[in-house]
Amino acid sequence: MKRILRRADDVLRGRSASNPWGLVLTCGLAYGAVMGLYEGRAWQVIFSSIKVPLLLLATFALSLPSYFVINTLMGVRSDFPEAVRAIVVSEATLTIILASLAPLTLFWYASSTGYHAAILFNGAMFAGSSLAAQIVLVRGYRPLIARSSRHRILLWTWMIIHAFVGIQMGWSLRPFIGSSGVPTQFFRRGGDENAYLLIGRMILGSWSD
Amino acid sequence: MVRWWKALDRVLRGEATKVSALRSGKVDLPVAGIVVLLLILAMLYGTCMGTFAILKGGEPSYQQVLASTLKVPALFFLTLVVTFPSLYVFNALVGSRLSIGAVLRLLLAAMAVTISVLASFGPITAFFSASTNTYAFMILLNVLVFAVSGTLGLLFLLRTLQRLNVAMREPVPTPAEEHVGVDKQGGERPATPSPLEPLEEEVLGRHVLILFQCWILLFGLVGAQMSWVLRPFVGNPDQPFTWFRPRQSNFFEAFFSALASLLS
Repeated sequence: MKRILRRADDVLRGRSASNPWGLVLTCGLAYGAVMGLYEGRAWQVIFSSIKVPLLLLATFALSLPSYFVINTLMGVRSDFPEAVRAIVVSEATLTIILASLAPLTLFWYASSTGYHAAILFNGAMFAGSSLAAQIVLVRGYRPLIARSSRHRILLWTWMIIHAFVGIQMGWSLRPFIGSSGVPTQFFRRGGDENAYLLIGRMILGSWSD
Repeated sequence: MVRWWKALDRVLRGEATKVSALRSGKVDLPVAGIVVLLLILAMLYGTCMGTFAILKGGEPSYQQVLASTLKVPALFFLTLVVTFPSLYVFNALVGSRLSIGAVLRLLLAAMAVTISVLASFGPITAFFSASTNTYAFMILLNVLVFAVSGTLGLLFLLRTLQRLNVAMREPVPTPAEEHVGVDKQGGERPATPSPLEPLEEEVLGRHVLILFQCWILLFGLVGAQMSWVLRPFVGNPDQPFTWFRPRQSNFFEAFFSALASLLS
């Protein structure tokens, strides 16, 4: 426990941390478990604690090949290991922030019962942590950008690809919280709808009202 | 095989298209090997594109996966076959010094960039195929991926053309000229050149450049329409599998109707 805390502290303060993936796993598991506690169903806790690290790992794995080719094309292949390291550390930061917000989520669950409010609350936690983790990503990229300004474009490219895949990944891996009245399951069957289409239709629907 | 991947890697890193490497007047790459690799990579993306047909609709259509796997490489190479002769003839007409082999290698290198980017987006396309139900969304996503890869490839083509011009005019380029970018910590650091980066001095054969710009437009139009002729790539889950659909409408009309169906 003490070792994990020290490693987390190293990541947050920008010292080099060994094994950031371990942090992604442990902190992601921790927040996932808390997230699944909404109705106190044991299986939902287990599923959600698996799904949070899975969400991050799968998004990372899917976005990496295109980022690798684009980095090569921009002529900065030699900096790629360093760039990946900055990205992994920022993912670790994201899970550390999430874990630190877990008591807040528990408090929210304890004090309100609305399922939609719980979804919105968790969505806000994820969005806030992702934004805050960008601080670490930008910090990790600073020496790279100083070396070549092309890394600034690449950083934006990564953020766009990663967010595009991540949002849909979060949507396809649902339920994370588990609504009452629906039996607990790993994936929700049926209606594999696309997150972007749903958002688009909601926006269009709110216009036409 | 390893040698071919290395050659592809050199193209992507921009080492094959440095001014000093272009002094012979052509991009140095193993043509047959690169063609084989491009076929493999394009088939890889085709498979990713076709996964939508297995995962959606009533019966999984494995034929559609096979069809998409074969059609993506066919799309690129048929478009090249259709547009290459006119490019070469006009190229000779405007007095460019590029030989037929040099033009072919140049186009092959640009296609290597396009197809590599395309294949690298394959996992993302496959993931969206698995997690989306809407046919129109998949069409638009694929058009977007093809547009991004095509733009990068054609940008590469124009930049390489500029470099070829410089290389053929200047007999002895010093290595220092290729080093761009200065380290902020003081002292110059030889940055690796990006194949997409423009050169600062522009000594271009203006006609040749205009010709290639026209050709890029033609290539884009023929490619878009070729993709229409070869459709379906994604496979509409509401229709039975066919290798080809009857000739009707065109790419741009279909693109906008897919967009409209998403927005309605």
